[in-house]
Amino acid sequence: MKINVEYLKRFVACGLEDGRLRELLAGLGLGTEEVLQVGGETVLDLETTPNRPDWLSHYGIAREIAAKDPRLRFVPMDLAAVDLGAPGSGFAIHIEDPADCLRYSGCIVRDLAVRESPPEVQKLLVSLGLRPINDIVDVSNLVMMTCGQPLHIFDLETLRGGQVRVRRARPGEALRLLDERDVKLDNGHLLIADGERPLALAGIMGGLDSGITPATRHVFIESACFDPVVIRLGARSLGLKTDASYRFERGMDAEATLPALRMALLLLARSQGRALKPSFFQDAYPRPQSRPVIRLEKDFPARLTGMAIPEAEAAAVLQRLGFRLRDDGAAWQVAPPSHRVDAECREDLVEEIARVLGYDRLGGEMPLTANPVLRVDEARPRLQRLKARLTAAGFQEVINYVFQSPEENRLAGPEERPLALKNPLGRDFSVMKNSLLSGLLRNTAANANQGFERVALFEIGNAFADEDGRVVERRRLALSAYGQEQRPDWRLAGREFDLAWLKTELAALARLLRLELAFRAAAHPLFRPGACFRVDCGQRPCGWCGEVAEAASGFHKLERPAFAAELDLEALLANGGEPRFQAWNRFPAARRDFTFLMARARTFQELEDAIGRLRPAALESYELTDVYQGTGVPAGQVSFSLSFTYRAAERTLTGEEVNEAHREFTGRLAAQLGLIQR
Amino acid sequence: MIDELTKEIEETRRSLVHELEGAQSPETLAALKERYLGRKKGRVSLLLARLRDCAAAERPRAGQAVNELKAFVEEALAAAQDRSAAAPGEWRDPSLPPSRLPAGGEHLIAAIQRRIEDIFLQLGYEIARGPEVELEDYNFTKLNIPAHHPARDEQDTFFLEGHDEMVLRTHTSPIQVRYMLEHKPPLKIISPGKAFRKDDPDATHSPCFHQVEALLVDRGVRFSHLKGTLEAFCRSFYGPDIVLRFRPGYFPFTEPSAEVDISCFLCFPPAGSRAHGQSASSPAGPEAAGSRAHGQSSSSPAGPAAAGAASGADPSCRVCKGSGWLEILGSGMVHPQVLRYCGIDPEEYSGFALGMGIERVAMVKYGVPDLRLLYENDLRLLGQFG
Repeated sequence: MKINVEYLKRFVACGLEDGRLRELLAGLGLGTEEVLQVGGETVLDLETTPNRPDWLSHYGIAREIAAKDPRLRFVPMDLAAVDLGAPGSGFAIHIEDPADCLRYSGCIVRDLAVRESPPEVQKLLVSLGLRPINDIVDVSNLVMMTCGQPLHIFDLETLRGGQVRVRRARPGEALRLLDERDVKLDNGHLLIADGERPLALAGIMGGLDSGITPATRHVFIESACFDPVVIRLGARSLGLKTDASYRFERGMDAEATLPALRMALLLLARSQGRALKPSFFQDAYPRPQSRPVIRLEKDFPARLTGMAIPEAEAAAVLQRLGFRLRDDGAAWQVAPPSHRVDAECREDLVEEIARVLGYDRLGGEMPLTANPVLRVDEARPRLQRLKARLTAAGFQEVINYVFQSPEENRLAGPEERPLALKNPLGRDFSVMKNSLLSGLLRNTAANANQGFERVALFEIGNAFADEDGRVVERRRLALSAYGQEQRPDWRLAGREFDLAWLKTELAALARLLRLELAFRAAAHPLFRPGACFRVDCGQRPCGWCGEVAEAASGFHKLERPAFAAELDLEALLANGGEPRFQAWNRFPAARRDFTFLMARARTFQELEDAIGRLRPAALESYELTDVYQGTGVPAGQVSFSLSFTYRAAERTLTGEEVNEAHREFTGRLAAQLGLIQR
Repeated sequence: MIDELTKEIEETRRSLVHELEGAQSPETLAALKERYLGRKKGRVSLLLARLRDCAAAERPRAGQAVNELKAFVEEALAAAQDRSAAAPGEWRDPSLPPSRLPAGGEHLIAAIQRRIEDIFLQLGYEIARGPEVELEDYNFTKLNIPAHHPARDEQDTFFLEGHDEMVLRTHTSPIQVRYMLEHKPPLKIISPGKAFRKDDPDATHSPCFHQVEALLVDRGVRFSHLKGTLEAFCRSFYGPDIVLRFRPGYFPFTEPSAEVDISCFLCFPPAGSRAHGQSASSPAGPEAAGSRAHGQSSSSPAGPAAAGAASGADPSCRVCKGSGWLEILGSGMVHPQVLRYCGIDPEEYSGFALGMGIERVAMVKYGVPDLRLLYENDLRLLGQFG
């Protein structure tokens, strides 16, 4: 809202220089966005808030200043001498639905000669960013900038049927607006019409046909109050935003229409250089508005704020702001002034009091409120351990948008219907992501292009899905590794990332979180067939890992293999329950090695499955100690070495017993899988 | 005589060099030192003693030769000793550089969020979470932002195809709504998370951003409790000397509302100047104050027209641009209508809410110059933090 400081001071004679004035306004909640110097005058562009349409005028700002300083007074223009005349005949105002138009005041003024506005008016309008047109149009703008009330002035001779009607548009009606745009209208638009046709979009913009021209002689001046929602929806549907619609959609003061009309007559008389008396006047006000009276307990301002606010001071502030108070013993009955459409409850009044007295009176104290139930967040420390482990392993956390392109969604779910945004910022951000991995691969490519040899990333975020018409979001952990795991140096050999490294990291993470992870060969569109595993956590599927499939790595133009995993975070953060002490086995363990050749066509998973089926009771654990395919290993075969640990719970096994169990167990393994013992 | 001596000197030198080749342990070196430089029986000492037998004319030349030998022996033994101390057994150089193991890190936004959470957890708050795709009712209506209210304009909202009642939440406040609907006061929570506005990315806007909000509802909660809590938080987070400035603001879900500035942690206030309170004027962003949710970042630490910079602030300060104040969060007393919508009787209870944007903190406190950098996930930036 642009405020000309010189003009402002006509309505509140504060002697403040600009800096002090801005400080005072800031203390009231009116920040200054910009200070302009126009034609030697200072103009403040003030930051106003949607709840205070009354701030959108010089009057509104002047009232605030006067309320802040008890020595100052708000002095509006003296309109006492302006005579609107008595309701006349031969013309009529009709409001079809009082819900759309709260009040419509209008008058007819005849025998005008359209001319330029006086230089000081033109200068004032220019300083406020408005273009002077002619004295009639300028008056409507000046009234709006002065008291906030938007006016519209019609060329009377274009009005047919001796009437204006405030009505909804009929489907198919059209109107050429002042800006020469043709708009098609429907029942959502509120019109000012004459007996035959639409004249103007009520509260938004006038029509070209009925506008003021240099030849205009007689005018009809409209000063009305429209329903905020109707104006807002109408303006939005046409993509229009005007000074008038901006004000009406915030809610205007129904009591302001007549003073605004008087002000228009006064200003027009000045430019025309003669007294003006309307030949017709009507004030259509079907349902006079009344503001609710608010009960304010006298101690409530101090109670709600903790500020020291003497009752007399609180009352004085409200009165200076134009609120009328009736003393009711322990409380005041407070009637807000009509222009304070925002004042609805006692808390609003407290803000007024605190704001005008100054928030610098506010002291700080700690609340004593304690949470009634101490809910210890178990997941948070687990999440932090998880992140600490990942960062220590060299993974960098990233954060991406939650939306991505439909193509990226298809990489993870080629058949899925994406959860799409109605109004995305662009195609690249048009669907809610169904997987975090595309984002990681995008980040990977960007960093690899910057020359990073090692790009290991993780992200924690939601993946979204539309499941039977329900939006489902799940918190996920996604990891990716690309390029060099270890750069070679004088003591360490260089290594590239591989799937085994990623699985090792996942297993280490699981151990840290006391979880059982298992990898089962599976298929998923994001991963290369044969290098894709479903990750089970405590027997339940909780995600995927593998080597990124050609489709996805090609999409992101990755030149080397990428390895990735995406897991359900809630499964990782779920606490498996408190552990209980378990006595450890005191009997000695016996180790037996088993080296054998297995056909390349078989997988280690098959071997593990067989071990699971055939394991003797005394087999405590086993590990893979070597894999070898060099000299001495026949083609089509791979050499494995496993180390088995045998132990009984209740006694020491004899060497013979262990040998016997081992021989039988490995014999059966060999027979089932066609292994060749070495 | 002199010839014989010269020969022996040469022999001694050769034998030392030979013996040093195999000698690395401190013990061997000590033995060698004794054998060559020992005061009575050391080979060099014996040679020195034999100078007396030389002819007077030859003595200076002989003496010089023996002394040169002595210096050589001492030097060679010392060097061997240095090497031996460094590498007993085999050659080693402990001054070789360490290998560079990779280190990852937290994203700056996550790290800031965690720090803010930690402070509020210590103050006894509980962390509440909620969905990012939220009911329009919880995101707006229950927060006293009715349909068709101009306040909705400023929170340009993403809508979903086929889910007319859902929006991408424009702030984390609907988490508070959910919590209030499910719990009875007293309530003491923070609601961290992502939020979304249909803003084209630029230096100060992002369609996806992060907030932390706090909510406290109980009997007798006052505006001053909000200030005390914020003072505690800001002094813990920004520094012990931070001063707060409350300015009237507008949020549909709080009444009274306050925009909160902190004194610049880099240049202001000078020691003992806690009285600055309300004196300087408003930093102003490009949008109306009420257009922002709690904590949505605004364009600059202080608007270009901020009146009267705080006296004592450094005019060239790169953090506050000389204003002395940093606009960091929005706050207020929970609007009675919001309490009512959430099943809490405003006659019995009152509460405060506050909210801050994490990206704003990244810019103000960590000097990240452009918000877009935080979502590019460039390791050159991320590697500096977390």
